[in-house]
Amino acid sequence: MKYQPVIGLEVHAELSTKSKIYCSCSTAFGAPINTHTCPVCTGMPGALPVLNKQVVHYAAKMGLATGCTINRLCKADRKNYFYPDLPKAYQISQFDVPICENGEVFFYVDGEKKSCRLERIHFEEDAGKLLHDEIDGTVVDFNRCGVPLIEMVTKPDLHSSAEAKEFLEMIKTTLSYLDICDCKMEEGSIRCDVNVSIRPEGSEELGTRVEMKNINTFSGAVRAIDYEVARQIEVVENGGEIQQETRRWDDVKLKNTVMRTKEDAQDYRYFPDPDLIAVEIDDEWMHKIESEIPELPIARYERYLNEYGMTAMEARQISDSFAKAELLDAAAKQVKPKAAANWILSDISKYLNDKGVDLPDTKLTADKLVDLVKLIEAGTISGAAGKKVLPAMFETDETVEAIVERMGLKQVSDEGAILAIVQEVIAKNEKAVADFKAGKNVTGFLVGQCMKASKGQGNPKVINKLIAQELAKL
Amino acid sequence: MALYEKTAAELSELLANKEISAVELAKDVFARTAAVEDKVQGYVTLTEEAALQQAEAVDKKRAAGEELSALAGIPVAIKDNICTKGTLTTCASKMLYNFKPPYNATVMDKLAAHDVVVTGKANMDEFAMGSSCENSAAHPTHNPHGLTRVPGGSSGGSAAVVAAGEAPLALGSDTGGSIRQPASFCGVVGLKPTYGAVSRYGLVAFASSLDQIGPFGRSIEDVAMLLDAITGHDPLHDSTSVKTPFEGSVRANLNADVKGMKIGLPKEYFGAGISDEVRESVLAAAETYKSLGAEVFEISLPLVEYALPVYYILSSAEASSNLARFDGVKYGYRTPNAGDDVIALYVKSRSEGFGAEVQRRIMLGTYVLSSGYYDAYYKKARAAQRKIREEFANAFEKCDVILTPVAPTTAYEIGSKTTNPLEMYAGDICTVSVNIAGLPGLVQPCGFDGNKMPIGMQLIGPRFGEQTLLGAGLAFEQASGLKNIVAAL
Amino acid sequence: MAISRKEIEHIASLARLDSTGGIFDRLADDMQDIVGMVDKLAELDLGDITDVINTERKNAFHEDVVIQEYTPDELIEPNAPDFQAGGVAVPRVVE
Repeated sequence: MKYQPVIGLEVHAELSTKSKIYCSCSTAFGAPINTHTCPVCTGMPGALPVLNKQVVHYAAKMGLATGCTINRLCKADRKNYFYPDLPKAYQISQFDVPICENGEVFFYVDGEKKSCRLERIHFEEDAGKLLHDEIDGTVVDFNRCGVPLIEMVTKPDLHSSAEAKEFLEMIKTTLSYLDICDCKMEEGSIRCDVNVSIRPEGSEELGTRVEMKNINTFSGAVRAIDYEVARQIEVVENGGEIQQETRRWDDVKLKNTVMRTKEDAQDYRYFPDPDLIAVEIDDEWMHKIESEIPELPIARYERYLNEYGMTAMEARQISDSFAKAELLDAAAKQVKPKAAANWILSDISKYLNDKGVDLPDTKLTADKLVDLVKLIEAGTISGAAGKKVLPAMFETDETVEAIVERMGLKQVSDEGAILAIVQEVIAKNEKAVADFKAGKNVTGFLVGQCMKASKGQGNPKVINKLIAQELAKL
Repeated sequence: MALYEKTAAELSELLANKEISAVELAKDVFARTAAVEDKVQGYVTLTEEAALQQAEAVDKKRAAGEELSALAGIPVAIKDNICTKGTLTTCASKMLYNFKPPYNATVMDKLAAHDVVVTGKANMDEFAMGSSCENSAAHPTHNPHGLTRVPGGSSGGSAAVVAAGEAPLALGSDTGGSIRQPASFCGVVGLKPTYGAVSRYGLVAFASSLDQIGPFGRSIEDVAMLLDAITGHDPLHDSTSVKTPFEGSVRANLNADVKGMKIGLPKEYFGAGISDEVRESVLAAAETYKSLGAEVFEISLPLVEYALPVYYILSSAEASSNLARFDGVKYGYRTPNAGDDVIALYVKSRSEGFGAEVQRRIMLGTYVLSSGYYDAYYKKARAAQRKIREEFANAFEKCDVILTPVAPTTAYEIGSKTTNPLEMYAGDICTVSVNIAGLPGLVQPCGFDGNKMPIGMQLIGPRFGEQTLLGAGLAFEQASGLKNIVAAL
Repeated sequence: MAISRKEIEHIASLARLDSTGGIFDRLADDMQDIVGMVDKLAELDLGDITDVINTERKNAFHEDVVIQEYTPDELIEPNAPDFQAGGVAVPRVVE
């Protein structure tokens, strides 16, 4: 029998606020143990939470970008459980009234447009970190306690690991477009739990689902899903039954093991946090949030395909990066999109990769890119010279013209000046002239000599034309 | 009259006129404490040394001509569930037997800004759960007016030290009557402010939506003075705190004129279960108000019947979550018997660290929030709370204040109600509704019973009705002369 | 409604309280009485009144500004039952 996997995801993304969700401690990654703490985030007796306004703003932003309804009135709830990384023994989360509900995320898998519905997005606090290598027992680092997260819960709309991966990539790209998450996978900025079940192909019923935890990368999610789907098929094919349970994925051993069975399911005793009051997003605030949503990655991707005539790979490469997409769209207002795109896809991307920097951290602007493209189109500099100009465009405040001037890369197109060079080169190369007369093609050689003589500044088109003209006179 | 027998307002004037020094006053108060504390046992921790240093600092400031608060140099006792930086804050629990907060409660910062002299940390029922001060892991406190009797609770220590002359003022906290009932039992004045009027930051939480810090004193004016010092919006630290209309100006605006004031007597609060002596005494107070020109009439608040279930469900639910942080991991008591099992560390630390009453409340609270019971208990109690709030709001359409008894009886014998928790809970019937509705409640003495134990009365006001409430209190205090009652010990 | 001993033990385990000692028997009995008392609420007919979100007050926030006032040696170490390697230590937690 053929089986269809049914997959739902719970994605946690760390919001890139400066301070924590319920206190003013720093959220910066990698600080020495327990240095980003205060009475609130360490759960001291008597300490009380006050919500970070930016968290609400960011969460609502993600909701709007994923087509969610924003609950203009929402609240925080306590999720009660004991664990050493949870100093209050409850996590402040949202339960029955999350800030966002009923969204939908679109993405492409192998050229085909798919979608996955979002059940909800809510904000909550991260837990601390347990360190097992320092001492015989376990040491608790509270620095992460209270770092703001949004949790995005999907409907079980995904049917392959490839779909799950593209969904996750789209979530990541959207978060980076909105500038609400660092999206640093190695720092755990985005994590996910996966729910997997299988059903006979064609069936509409949902099978018993298994939840998998400890998935830290998107590629890990692919491996975990593929493993779990295969495991479930094997169980069913051997006449067994899938148990509702939570399994822990091990991305080194490439297998999962049972963490919790249905019997020891937790009772979190959610209730409204009495230390916090209702959150209301009024119209003014809502308009402000709306005004901050840029054109989203999928829309740009489709526009690049349809309007800019880019290939899928090219469109993806640029639309995946908000900065590159912004650069392209700004430049495309003044020059041919394709010309700007080519620079972004090749030399600009290469420079950023080589230097390991982000576009917004450089001095490259759309205006500079436009100038560069225009100078080349006008024949003021050669394409090759353009490549030489580029690093300075990233690194200095000079205009492109000034860089060209300073580097002496201005192309000579003046026919009088070039004619003198051409005539001199022909005069000096008797052998070539002899070869030409014997019927050989010597144009390439002569052009090279002319370029050399002009220190690379001669316009090759003009040189070509004048060489042909002079040779014809012989 | 010795200094310890004077009211804070009197002492304030003596200090301001430099007739006495803060050091002199502190020494007198600590001498009184040394003489009577063995009998009363109102404190868990005395901070005499620090207090004398504070007093000295105040005297220097005054000598230097600095402008000082009316409270500067006045001794104040602090309930042991209010965090005092560097000073033991045990909540009268083994669980926090060694806990020294690394930070100050907002009220402590405020009091420091007023240059008060902190005498020590007052005894209480463990984690503020109880009505007799017998649930203290340290020791029971004795009622200064009858040493074999309870001082009430949970702020029994605060009430007792004020009644005994060990401090003219004290801070307590009130979740279901924990300021008002001990004030009544000890013959002092106690105020539970409107929810949100005083920052809860640094008050070790029992039930967050009901807890409120409030003042004790031996006169209305003294209580107004301390209230003025501790109220204030605390936007950085307490989301539930609010800006009050009376911020810091209650004492200055006290008005004892009750002519035409409408006072409601809810008949349900005077029914069966209330002792005759208490009922008669409070009704006599109502007559006093009539004679002062107030309009006194009967009203009905039928939902009081459900106040106890609502209160015990909501407060225990919140407590079960608030007290989960006491797990032996980060501070306070950790069992030596956990071996290398972290679950055992939790279970044993909590079972060994919490007393029986606290465990009962945690159990009840966990139960009413647990899967399958949430709707029938917690959710329904929240809905009932709304209804109770509405009932009070409607009542305040008709009257300015509501007059009721505080507790069914006067202070009872130590040990007489410890076997049956329900009997103890029943004593909270007159006070819990005020917390459920978030209202201010003022308690002051209105007489004595046949055993010469004080009887108190409760005035309930609308939200932010503190100014009216204390004005009404002052009118009765002046008419009755029941003011500044220091127990003879 | 009466609660079974098994249920009471389940509640104790959720609350991380010991349900094995003799003291717990007393606690379990008290639980029955107390639950009996709060069951009175069942009598009250509230119609369709609910209180999902209390809207008496709305919106208390802190701005997104960092204030770092404490160091671990003043905040955590003085009260920690077991402080090692910069943090509170507990028996090894197996995940």
